[in-house]
This record gives sequence, structure tokens and C-alpha cells, in this order.
Amino acid sequence: MIVAERKPLAEIRSFVEDYRRILILGCGTCTTVSLCGGEAEVKIVASGLRISFLHEGRDSEILEDCITRQCEPEFVEVARQKVKDESIEAIVSLGCGVGVNLLAQLLETVPVFPGVNTKFFGAVVEPGMWLEMCAGCGDCILQLTGGICPIARCSKSLLNGPCGGTRDGKCEIGEDVDCAWALIIERMKSLGTLDRLSEMLPARDWSTSRHGGPRRLVHTEVANVNVQETEGEAQ
Amino acid sequence: MKSGSRLERILEAGHFAVTAEIGPPMSGNPAKVLEKAQLLKGTADAFNITDNQTAVVRMSSVAAAALVLGEGLEPIMQMTCRDRNRLAIQADVLGGSALGLKNCLCITGDHQTSGAAGRLKGHPGAKNVYDVDSIQLVSILRGMRDDALQQGGDPLEEPTPLYIGAAWTPLGDPIEIRPIRLKKKVDAGADFIQTQGVYDVDGFREQMAIIADMGLHERTHILAGIIVPKSLGMLRYMNSSVAGVTVPDRLIQRMAEAKKSAGDDKKEASRRQLAEGIKMSVELIEQVQEIPGVRGVHVQAIESEHLVPEILEKAGLLPRPEMSKKEG
Amino acid sequence: MGTNPMPRVESTVHAPCAAACAVHTDTRQLVEFIANGRYEDALELLLEANPFSSVCGRICHHPCEQSCRRAKVDAPVGLRRLKRFVMETMADSRHLRRERNIPQQDKARVAIIGSGPSGMTAAHDLARLGYKPVVFERHATPGGLLGQALPRYRLPYSVVKEDIDDIIALGVEVRTGIEIGIDIKLDDLLKDGFSAVLIATGLSESRTLGIPGIDSRGVQLALPFLLAAHSSRPVENGKRMVVIGGGNVAVDVARTARRLGAEKVTMVCLESRDEIPAWPWEIEETEEEGIVLMPSWGPKSVFSENGAIKGIELKKCLSVFDSEGRFRPQFDESEVATVAAEGLVIAVGQSGDLTCLEDAAVELVGEGRIQWDRETLATSREGVFACGEVVSGPGSAVEAVLSGHRAARAISHLLETGNLLEQPPEELPHIGDLPDDVASKVTLLSPIGVSVLAPEERVKGFEEIETGYSEADALREARRCLACTTGALVDEEKCAACLTCVRICPFGVATVERTAAMPQDECQACGLCAAQCPAAAIALTRFSTRQMKDQLREVVPLVKSQSRATPVIVSYCCLFEVTGRDFLRSAESTGPGRGIVPISIPCVARLSTADLLSPFEVGADGLVIIACREDSCLYPTAEDRLLYRIRQAKGVLGEIGMEEERIDYWKTNGSAEVSWGAFWALSQKKLGEILNRKGE
Repeated sequence: MIVAERKPLAEIRSFVEDYRRILILGCGTCTTVSLCGGEAEVKIVASGLRISFLHEGRDSEILEDCITRQCEPEFVEVARQKVKDESIEAIVSLGCGVGVNLLAQLLETVPVFPGVNTKFFGAVVEPGMWLEMCAGCGDCILQLTGGICPIARCSKSLLNGPCGGTRDGKCEIGEDVDCAWALIIERMKSLGTLDRLSEMLPARDWSTSRHGGPRRLVHTEVANVNVQETEGEAQ
Repeated sequence: MKSGSRLERILEAGHFAVTAEIGPPMSGNPAKVLEKAQLLKGTADAFNITDNQTAVVRMSSVAAAALVLGEGLEPIMQMTCRDRNRLAIQADVLGGSALGLKNCLCITGDHQTSGAAGRLKGHPGAKNVYDVDSIQLVSILRGMRDDALQQGGDPLEEPTPLYIGAAWTPLGDPIEIRPIRLKKKVDAGADFIQTQGVYDVDGFREQMAIIADMGLHERTHILAGIIVPKSLGMLRYMNSSVAGVTVPDRLIQRMAEAKKSAGDDKKEASRRQLAEGIKMSVELIEQVQEIPGVRGVHVQAIESEHLVPEILEKAGLLPRPEMSKKEG
Repeated sequence: MGTNPMPRVESTVHAPCAAACAVHTDTRQLVEFIANGRYEDALELLLEANPFSSVCGRICHHPCEQSCRRAKVDAPVGLRRLKRFVMETMADSRHLRRERNIPQQDKARVAIIGSGPSGMTAAHDLARLGYKPVVFERHATPGGLLGQALPRYRLPYSVVKEDIDDIIALGVEVRTGIEIGIDIKLDDLLKDGFSAVLIATGLSESRTLGIPGIDSRGVQLALPFLLAAHSSRPVENGKRMVVIGGGNVAVDVARTARRLGAEKVTMVCLESRDEIPAWPWEIEETEEEGIVLMPSWGPKSVFSENGAIKGIELKKCLSVFDSEGRFRPQFDESEVATVAAEGLVIAVGQSGDLTCLEDAAVELVGEGRIQWDRETLATSREGVFACGEVVSGPGSAVEAVLSGHRAARAISHLLETGNLLEQPPEELPHIGDLPDDVASKVTLLSPIGVSVLAPEERVKGFEEIETGYSEADALREARRCLACTTGALVDEEKCAACLTCVRICPFGVATVERTAAMPQDECQACGLCAAQCPAAAIALTRFSTRQMKDQLREVVPLVKSQSRATPVIVSYCCLFEVTGRDFLRSAESTGPGRGIVPISIPCVARLSTADLLSPFEVGADGLVIIACREDSCLYPTAEDRLLYRIRQAKGVLGEIGMEEERIDYWKTNGSAEVSWGAFWALSQKKLGEILNRKGE
């Protein structure tokens, strides 16, 4: 799940202060589940802005809507229609950064402002708490580390950890951060595969992660691409 | 001889090696470095020149090491993985080698949020690198030395003579991984090992027995870390907050009594604790010397380098053996 | 997609109480109306379903309560008593109502024989449909046995009159003192312009026993005994009385005899204690009044002296029904008992009086029963129908009402189309039992009692035994209702399966497969999931805040413009702490003048964060939330959830530079009447200070 957190209202306000017709657009998938961008939150943000504008005698109209996902052009089309019909001047997106980007790309002339800070890919460890678990590095090595990611969950992204800073299973940067390598060792012990850690994992090819530039993925069976022309092109 | 460094020759000759530390200054002024070098000349076989230790910016290890070399001491340059990617590391090692540096300690490096354990501001917002880790780094250096190859596969015009070191935290947790990690470093090519500070000699002895069983003590030279305790506070702090360091109660007790014995006289209390600390350091050196597989000590007197000669003297480790440049 | 809130959806299954009621009174909705102070709506609901609501509020055997799902938690909701509360409280409203909606009667005339509940209900319905019903009653006053024979301590005649008068006010003509079959022949009715005849004569004859000595003096039959007692005519009542019979009529006789002065009353019946047909609560009250029960005994013979009864000999009854359920009592003649008595009343059942069929060409079957089709309600003669106990056997008052409704439909169908209407019995689908694990989590609430006369007091006369609920008690009892079938509904298109509802449901009801679902059988309609759903995908079928926001949008600006100096506070208050609706109405009408706009909500924990902000959106200066008393919230964890949302709303205010203190949270002290006024005053004062500081 992409985990995000709503931006403070004062900040959101500063983005849209000068517009008269503003749409708060929620996303029905990740930000709904991470409790910061669903329809319920759209109402809260809209309400907060309205109250704020009311107290300053500003005459702005705040509209509300929510689409299933902001990362799909077909769903964004619904929003585009609304923008046109309602003469929207600016959008506050409560979708993750991906949503903001796609909205901005497809809506072209209408400014799209981020209403949340996209944080990480994470899982729920207890209700209301998410932990980062994946770095999207592009070349997963979880088969080597018992399913626990050293790149996302080790502060130093070490592949041959732990370093000397680990203490009582916690990372040197803070007591509330688990040492990923302590977790990996624990797991591989229980899987009976601890001895695999005696092999050095060699220096990594980081080009599959963001270090190699922004990434793209194409599924040729589905893509509207002429297969003959693109045969041999790297995916 | 892999590098012909003094440290290498001392260890190869079977002597009990001594290394100490010189921390570079927080400035570009060479005088401080030279001062410390002069103070410590002749007290150890080689001197670690720390590299942005605890993620605090200081004069670079390579530069300070070169200065120290100029004073006739043998430096051990340190490379952390936090601040440089593999290109910069290899380039700096080549540069260091060109300046006459032969010993290199490969360590991971504290996370940039460390900032001298919170006492200084540091640069917690910096992007950290950790392109490679300490074990991979050992392997890279070995490749540069034995195969005249860069990590990426390109050749070096000639092999780089290096004596490669790595760190070991024998009592770190999870404890079961520590011997395995040591093995990985040795397999990767670590010629010498400097451990985290030892206070719990019994515990250390146990771990040494384990790695001796694995034959590691013969493939690499292990130097036990000795951190000079200066006060009760320092001992307690290290016990509670420094990863991989355990201080037995009886040592804490001794230090506490030393402090108490001075009553209200703070200055006297300081003096007595320091004296006790020196005494403890000497004892620790003597104790670890007895452990099979321990080939030397690495003495750290943080910001108190002047204590080192006294301690080594009392431990009977001075004067250091004479070694001709070509011996071994 | 979109932010349009879900429409209020009617459930396709019913609450078990409504399904159990013979006329399917929507008792669940009734209770909701009462709890919300909507007594007028409650009155309409009751009278639409059952014209004899006042009567049933006293004497109905409440099958609704027997099927109430709350019974599994602690005790059923006192539905009959709530019905009585509405009928009593709304008496004046009802009288006014009589003057409205008088139907235009321009269709055919229909003759109805018998003014009991089934006949009068049929008359009521036919009048509303535009027909001209004329009811023929042989007694002097209408009401049938309900009015004539039911003891006054259970059902005062004034109560029956309330219901009857309503029906008469519709334009139904009741001609008393006329016996069809004697004074007018049935044939003559049809010839004289009645397009249909409905026989609703009930079971007005008492059966007797063919045992030796039955004709002794002092032996009476049940109905004449009760009729005499009811009309305060002299009644033969001995010091010691024996009543033969185990049904409700026998119980009425026994208790009446006791009140008339009998020192010892013995009730003898064939059935064993477990089998006694009278209602269990009646048996309980009977024994409290000192009446002795002798189950499993049958009458053998009456012995007398000089022709006057001295006592009765009984024989042991071993069983009453055979293996096929037929009435075949088996006795042990050797086991006998004797009860001395100065009087004996036989209450072994009633049969129909078919005098009205004298010389009428209406077929009989069997042992003198009218030939009758259950589903068309037709007799063998065209245009002649029958309903009620005379054809369907002994039944309750509400069942009589049902048969009256069906008869009216049957008759109007024939008169409209010329055909008979098949009316198969109607079963309402209803939700299942409350699962044990959910029941165990429901907050216990003891049922509210009413004052009941002590048995020693009761037997002194014919005073009503119990009082009705006070308004405060009725409101408290109404809140015990579990609101079956009005629980959460999920819009599957919006649901993101985020599991929030699963995690916060205090009853462990919500589950998620591909999307969330709250099984209707289990959902307690607390609203916590709906208030918290991040996709706004859950709505409760009985509560939506959309109307509330619209109301605020209208009211608040108005109040603001009228009271410029006073800060305007919207106050969400927990409905459950109000002990009388007058307080609420008064607060709602006088509050705005003082800058307070009260909105009562059944449990404020169902307010979402957006709901807490909407008052500010429409210009209110402050918000007060008044929750129920300490430890009295119905729903576990609800208060904590609400406090979280209040913190969230305060946080939003803080983020936009407004004072968090504009939102106040209070817990009722004692009751709404006692504490809310003070809370509003305090909050207003504080808000005034905040605004002064601001220089507003």
C-alpha cells in the first residue's frame, strides 16, 4: 500500500488561496486505506477550507469529489468532466504523488496541488500504524533475506548487515526502529537457512532502482504498441 | 608481503601489535595533526586516522594520514561507506596509495543522524551513500591489490599495495551472526581486524574460541579494541548506549568506588577516576594478551591521546620493536 | 462515485416483532418514533395497522415481545406498554384526528353482523374505502365481548370506547339492540340494499359440561357470569368458588370471582401446569391473587344439598391430547379429589351463536360450523362473508383485527370486480436470531417497570392492575430497542476494503471479503463504522446526517442575522438523555433566540468529523457536543471514538488558525432537563470571551 499523510490545512490553503472555484479530489484506493485521502477526508479538507475562507470573508466555492483511482486515465476522465462542467480553477488532490502527477498531466491547464505527502510503500502492523517495507528497488532479493527487505528496512540499506551499531534488535538511529538485519537473522534462523548469510552478497546494481533514472514498465500484450516496430526494445 | 607496511611486518613477524588512533581536527589546520603525531610517535605500530567519525565532518582521513606519514608514523587510513560511492572510494584509495598510505580500515560508518551521539548538530539531512557495505569494500580493495582490477571490471594500470583491515563487534547482537560476518570479511580478504572495545573479557574470550574453531584467527590478525575509560559516567554510557559494548559490573563498581573515595572534591574525583581508568586499560591489555588468537591491541583514548603512552608503558608494550623498512 | 450520500434504503426483511404481529404493526418503527419524540407519527403508525390500538395496548398477548431479539440480551422491549403509552399520551391528538380525513362514502352499503373487533375493523376499512358499512349489534353497547365480558381490571370500557368512537367517527353506523336472525333476517338485509353481508358474531356462547349435578343451583356458565360482573348486575358469587377450565376466560372468571368477594377460588383444569392454555403472565397474576390452581384434574360430578351446590368431585386427568393432537382426555377414575364450594363456573370454551343464519341459505358443515373458505372468506352464499372467531375458532384480539382487514379486502374486491379474492396467509420474511457472541457484547439495560398494584389491593375491586409508562419511562424503554434491520449498509463500489470498520466494530460484526459487509442479523446499528469509514461508503438505514446539514444551512444564518451580538452555538445533543419531548421542543424553539441551535441525535457517537465541522461551515461560532451520562452510553468504545473525532475536528480548526476551544464536550449530568441549560450557558460565556479577545 502506498502510505501517505495529509498536509496541514494551512499549507493546502496557501496553494489555493487565490482561486475561486476549487475542487478537492479524493482517491478511492491507497489514500482511502491509509486514512488520509478518501471521501471522508475530502469532506474534512473541504470543510476546513470553507470555514477558513468564511472567516476571512472570501468568496470561494469548494467542491468535493472522489474517483476510484487517480492513477488511471479512465478514472481521471471523470474528474476532467467535472472540471469542465463546474469551471474548476484549481484542484487539491488527496491522491498520492502519482495521482497528482497524472492529474496534472491529463488536465493540463488546471493547476493540481498536492494535498498529501506521499511517504512510502508499507503494510499495516497494527491498526493505524504502517511500516515501510519496500523500496521499489526494481530487483527484489527477498528470497535471500527471508522475506525481509534490507534495502527498505535497513537504515543503511546494507546487504551484508548488521553493522556494529545494532543494539537489542534496534537500529542505531532510534529505539523505535527495528534493526532489519536482526529481523532477517531471526527469520532465517527459524527457516533453518541462516548459513546462507555466510556468503557475501556482492555490490549491487542499483540501476534498476530510482538511481538508474525514472522507470517504466510495458506489458506488450496489453499496450497499444505496434509489436513489430518495438521488437527487441528493452522493457 | 602484500603491502610492506610496518603493521603487516610486525604481525607477520609474530609480534604483539599495537595500534592507536589519531582523530583529525575540525579544521583545515595541519598543526593539530602534527602535534598529536609528535605526541604519539613511537608508541604504536600504526595509527588509525578516523574518517568523519560519528558522522561529524573533520579533515579527511587520507589527508590527515598523509600528514601523519610525513611525521614518520605509520597511518591506517579509514574508509567509511556512508559518504562515498564505489568510484570515490576507489579513487581515494588510489590517491592514498600514491601518497604512501598502505593500511586501510574498511568500515560501514555511523548513520548521518548520529552527529557525535547527539552532542553536535552534524548533518542529519545529508543523503547517505552506502553504495557498498564494509564487506564488499574489503573485497573491492582486495581486487585492486591482488588482481589490479576496479570493482566494475576495468583494469588498474598496476596493482595497489594495501594492507586491508575490517572491524569486528564480537559481542554485538544478534550474537550468532558476528562470527559469520567475521568470516565473510576474512573470506573477502581482510588482513587484520580491529574489534569494538572489550571490557567483558570472558565474553570476548568465548567468542574468540568460536572463531578460532572456524580457523579465522589464523587467516587474519585480530587486534582487541581497548577503549580507555575516563570516568564512571563514560563507563556507564558505553554499557547502556554503545552498541556491542558490555561493561561487567565489577568494573563499574571499581570506578564508582574510585569516584566515591574522593568525597566532595570534584577535581580529586576526576583524577582518581582517570587513574582507575588507566589501571583498567592496562589490565585489559594484559588479559586479552592471554587469549589465543589475539594478535594485538587497538587502543582508543578519545580526545585524550596523551594517555596512550602511559598506558602502553605500564602494559609493558613499549618500546615498540625495531623493524627495518625491508624486513619481513 | 461522487460525494452524494446514500439514499435511505428500506430493508427487504423485517424485524421479527413486526413479522410476529398478526397485523404486522411495524413495532420497530414505532419504537423509533417514540424514542425521537415523534408521538404523532407513532399514533398514525399504530392506527393504520390496528384500529383497536388502545385495546391491544392493554390486553394484547404481544407476540411481538415474544419474538423480540432483545430477550437474548436481557429482556424483551415492553412493546405493549409502549403502545399503551402512545395511545394514552396522544388521546387528545386522536380526538382531533377524528375531525380530519372523514372519507367520502359514496359506494355500496355493507351489513356487518357483530360489533366486536373483527367486525368493527372491517367496518373501519370499508368506510375508508368509501363504502357505507352498517354494523348490527344485539347488545346495547358496541364492542362485542371485548367491551362486554372482559374484566375491567384488564380492560376498562373507556379504553374500548376510544377505539370504537374513532371508527364511528369515520361514518360507520352502529345499530345496537338489533339481533339479525330475529329482528331482521339475513335475507332481508340483502334485499334491502346491502350489497354484502359480513358475519362477525364471534364466539358468544359458553359451552357446558354433561356431568351429574350440573343443573344444581350455583352452577353458572362463564360468559353470563362475566357479562353480569362487567355490567355491575348482581352476580351469584359464593364464599368458595370453583372454576372449571384452564384458558384465559377461566382465568378472567376466577379473578373476577375473587374480586367479587370469594374468599377461596379454585381453578381446575385438565391440562398439566405446562400445558395450561392461559397466558403465563395471567397465571402468575392469578396465583398472586390467592387463587389455587389444580392442574391435571377433570370434573367428575357436582354434589349438592337441597339442589344447591356443595362442592365438586374431581378425577385425575392423565393426558389431554392424543398422539395426533386431538382432544382425548384420559382419566384415572380411581384417583379422586373433592373441593367444597358454594358456586361453580364452567369455563370450558365458547361456541358461536348462529342465530343470524335463521332462515338464511347459508350452508353449515360438521357440527354446526359455517361453511367457509379461509382464503376468500366467503360462505356458500354469494355476497355473504364471515370473519373472526365465529369461523376461525378462538383467537386473540389482534387476530380478530387481522381477520377484519382481510374481510374488508375480500368484500371490496368482490364489489369492485365481481370476483372473489384469494388471500393466502401472509408471512413476512424477518431477520434471524441474534447470535450469542453478539448478544453477549450488547450493553445490559434492565427493562423499565410500571407500578403494579399489590395482589391484596387488586382483589379489593376492579381497578386496573398496572399503570402505563410515564413519558420518561417510555423514552427509556424505547431506547432498549436493538433497531433490528436498520443497520449498516455498504456501497460496494466505494468500499476500498481498508478494514477500518472491521477493526472498530465493537460487536465484531463487520467482515470483509472483497468488500465490507455487516450481516443484518448481527449489526447493532451503532453507526461507529459509518462515522469512521474513510471512503464514506457506509450508511445506516435509519440515520443520515445529510438532512441535518441542510437544516443547519437554513437555520444558522437565520439565527445569526437575528441575534447579531450573541455568539451562535450549534449543539449536538444525545437524544437518549431527554426525559420528555417538551424539553426538546422548548429548547428548539427558544434556543435560537439565545444563540443556541440544539440538534438532538440518537447517540452523538455517530457524528463524523465532517459533521462536527459543518456547523462552522454555515457560520456558527461554536459547537457544543453533549453526550450521555457517565457510563450510560449504549455502545462500547463509542465515547472514545467520538473523542478522537472531536480531537480531529479541533485539529482542523487549529490548522486554519481558529481557536480549538470553540468546540466543547459535555457529559449530561442527571438528565437533559437538569444539566443542558447550564452547559449551554457556560459554553456561550466562554465563546463570548474568545470572540471578545479576537475583537469580533
